[in-house]
Amino acid sequence: MWNFLKDVWHLFGRLFPFPTKPGLRRIGDPDRSSPVLVTCNYELTVRKVIQTLVRDGVDAWLLVAPTKGINVWCAAGGGHFTTDTVVSILKTSGIDNHVDHRRLILPQLSARGVNFWGVKEHTGWKPRFGPADIKDLAAYLRAGKSRTEREHRRVKFVVKDRFVMGTNLGFNTVLLLILPLLISSIWLTGLWWKTLPLLFVLSVASSVGVFWLPGKVGVQKGVSLGVLAAAIFVVLSQTFWQLPPWPLLGWTGWIVVLSAYVGYDMPSWSPLWRQDPKELVLGVKQTQIEIIQEKCINCHLCDIVCPSDVFRHDPEAKKYEVANLDACQACGACIENCPTEAIVSNFRGGTCACPTCAIIDGVGALKRKTQKREVPTVEPVPAAANCDTEACQCALEDREPGIELQTPENENGIRFP
Amino acid sequence: MSTLVYMKMLEQTPAKYDRGMRLLTLGRIDRIKREIASIWVEPGNDVLEIGCGTGTLAALMTERGAHVLGIDVSEPMLAVARESAPRAEFRHMTATEIDQLGAERFDRIVATLSFSELSEGELEYVIGASAGILKPGGKLVVADEMPASRWWQRSVARLVRWPLAALTFLLTQNTTHALRRFEERLDRTRYRVLHRERYLLGTLALVVAEKA
Ligand code: SF4
Ligand code: SF4
Repeated sequence: MWNFLKDVWHLFGRLFPFPTKPGLRRIGDPDRSSPVLVTCNYELTVRKVIQTLVRDGVDAWLLVAPTKGINVWCAAGGGHFTTDTVVSILKTSGIDNHVDHRRLILPQLSARGVNFWGVKEHTGWKPRFGPADIKDLAAYLRAGKSRTEREHRRVKFVVKDRFVMGTNLGFNTVLLLILPLLISSIWLTGLWWKTLPLLFVLSVASSVGVFWLPGKVGVQKGVSLGVLAAAIFVVLSQTFWQLPPWPLLGWTGWIVVLSAYVGYDMPSWSPLWRQDPKELVLGVKQTQIEIIQEKCINCHLCDIVCPSDVFRHDPEAKKYEVANLDACQACGACIENCPTEAIVSNFRGGTCACPTCAIIDGVGALKRKTQKREVPTVEPVPAAANCDTEACQCALEDREPGIELQTPENENGIRFP
Repeated sequence: MSTLVYMKMLEQTPAKYDRGMRLLTLGRIDRIKREIASIWVEPGNDVLEIGCGTGTLAALMTERGAHVLGIDVSEPMLAVARESAPRAEFRHMTATEIDQLGAERFDRIVATLSFSELSEGELEYVIGASAGILKPGGKLVVADEMPASRWWQRSVARLVRWPLAALTFLLTQNTTHALRRFEERLDRTRYRVLHRERYLLGTLALVVAEKA
């Protein structure tokens, strides 16, 4: 019974933190040269990371960082997965005593909170940003390169994820609107219990169908969904219920309004779009981001951390430039990690406006993120030749020891110290 | 819509934090801070304050003539602290890094409502590390929310705390957690508890321990 309730909660309650004990976990049978990985202490994530790594036969040390039970992306955006968090887990986990190397693999999606240079400076470890999705980690380790493959950096929003997030969006919207709707039932009896399931269905549809609906992400897609849903409603009601014209009109309008609202809210449940009110309501792109070419030292980090594949390398000039501004979702990861402050934008880096951040405790996320811990500044100088030459300023050596992976015979590869 | 509402709610300021803590402890925290500064810190002491927040305690301690180093992980808090306690030194640093400050360097280590922000592993580490950087005979002074010792106090406290915590969260979006088994942990390291005082039905405690 308890487990069932927990699973239901897991299914819909992703809005809320779900902490598991921070600390060191052994995956498989790690030795003194096995890779060291970091993740958040959101229970679902930790479970998925362990399952995936065991399935892929990876022997590793996993550091579960104290991120207040919030997932990597939200914690990093909300100031709970920061350079300080990484410093802290490296010290308190005692990982120093278990391995001979000092290479650390951070989740790519933590980059908007975690500063590469800060971790390096304050811990003496050599950080790397791994792939966005844990399922690509085995391939990354096997390849033995410090840079992830381009396709492993891009965040995807596949149908399954869209469905899950849609149900959570629905749950959240229902929670948020239940009180006003109940109050409205003083005048409009029965409105509330008909509206709640409607909201839920529209939420799921707006999330699952986000790529298929016409219009810009936000209110526009919401209205297209609303029109579609209203059309279906009219056909159904005429066939089965024979509604008189006024209620029919009222419900049609109500469906469009609810749908527009849900469409507006949907992006805060996605990993792809910025939650900017103007962008979502008017459909006008506000986000601006640019690289000051003279300052770029070709360290590759902006490109490595960007989940939306915004940057391109100019091999002639040996610099990066913004190639796909439309995809930028203003996550701030590149700004946080650029060592020369070469990236300028019209938004504040690393701000998070999602509901989770409002629910969690502690000193709020936004303000905490506005200024970051001191990190070493690098003087911009002309970019050097190739990554394998000595003059290269890139943040990473290009070769890492590749790792041979075995397939485990059974699923019992997990041991906890 | 919800995003805008949440965004507004999230807007945190150091002042809001101070108000939250004052409300949640019914003003008691200010009195405890004054007590720490006047009784448990002496002029000329080298004091480390872990989680100095807006620097209210640091200011009191410098007035008393102590040399104070305050650390915190929130830059905005530190900015306020630098103004409210100009004679103290402040640094952005996590509690787990205190062992880098130098062995046996401090006479006092104080922490108010900050140990309860740490995870269990962090707490364990910080207590151990604090013993390393205290001079022999130095004192660790901690004021924090702790579970009351008697069961009936715990039940009453829970009843009172719920609405109070909800109100505080609504007004200031701040809350605290209780620090569990703190004295047990002290006993396991090189500390001897000298003094303990409980407030607010035993839920807020001031513990002073000496490095043996
Ligand atoms: S210096 Fe900045 S802009 Fe240039 S590659 Fe590095 S992160 Fe990107
Ligand atoms: S370019 Fe935009 S999406 Fe990419 S890392 Fe920078 S802020 Fe994030």
